[in-house]
Amino acid sequence: MMEAQEIMTRDVVTVSGSATVAEAVKLMKDKSLRALIVERRGDWDSYGIVTETDIIYKVAAYGHDPKKMRVYEIMTKPCITVNPHLGVEYVARLFANTGIRRAPVIKDKLLGIISVSDILKKSDFVEKPKSNFELYCEENPDALEARIYED
Amino acid sequence: MLTAKDIMTKDVVTVSGSATVAEAVKLMKDKGLRALIVERRSDRDPYGIVTETDIIYKVAAYGHDPKKMRVYEIMTKPCIVVNADLGVEYVARLFANTGIRRAPVIEGKLLGIISVSDLLSKGNFVEKPNQLFIEDRLEVAREEARTVCAAKGDTSPECAAAWDIVEELQAAASHKRQQQKTTTSLEDYCANNPDARECRIYED
Repeated sequence: MMEAQEIMTRDVVTVSGSATVAEAVKLMKDKSLRALIVERRGDWDSYGIVTETDIIYKVAAYGHDPKKMRVYEIMTKPCITVNPHLGVEYVARLFANTGIRRAPVIKDKLLGIISVSDILKKSDFVEKPKSNFELYCEENPDALEARIYED
Repeated sequence: MLTAKDIMTKDVVTVSGSATVAEAVKLMKDKGLRALIVERRSDRDPYGIVTETDIIYKVAAYGHDPKKMRVYEIMTKPCIVVNADLGVEYVARLFANTGIRRAPVIEGKLLGIISVSDLLSKGNFVEKPNQLFIEDRLEVAREEARTVCAAKGDTSPECAAAWDIVEELQAAASHKRQQQKTTTSLEDYCANNPDARECRIYED
């Protein structure tokens, strides 16, 4: 099974929660990114994320001035994070169940970001679709149900 | 005012509802797209859309075989469409209210597709934040100011503050009206017939 770390985008840009939305937009445009990770205030703090959808839904749609609004007012924090070893099928299921489209990949530190686009473009779900049962058997090769009888 | 057709992506690819999801994925990968428009079966048929999110949420998340599933099983049809002349602020508000991120731009026929990315990268909401419904808000502020002044007295600081708000909104509204200045019939005529006698401009 492919893992999150194999298909994630390693180019990840962070922004401070106290930055203005205008600064975040400029960063996104310059680096052509759809989301930025919000820096933690310390090792005890959780990660946050701010996406282009947050900016359009919460700022542009209401005509608020992006120069006067701050990232912390529109970000999602704490945000759902993904373990680098999580299987791509599970990432897809997690996204579907929680209604998100991207999440930072974290193990001790920020490693990258994984999105529905990464899964679509880089994973093998078209060539090798995996059912729940197949996933279960892969994880529990010794389970009774997973035994394969060969002639 | 910037409109949908000014910032939409004109490169739009369509797919048949009966195509397999695997074919749709291949199209998206080849063309670097995040969504495809589903072809209409006739002129009376509505437009549909299938996005990368549909494919990940409904196919990949359940390990279904994309070669055995069809676009019509996961598409959104009818989908919300945007008029080519809709202002970008209204597009943003429509997206926020309906929870969508992209929509086909239609005027007679399919012209393009507009997404939150287009709004972010090509819109002008950073340089020119445009408050919608400013006339409505002005009306409410005026009524509020009158109520406050009647209750607290015309010389009270509350009354002055309430009228300050009205003044601010009024300034913003008139600024917006100037931006939308319409041309007169003569100006229109002269734009089309610059050599006509009526259109001569006398300079000192």
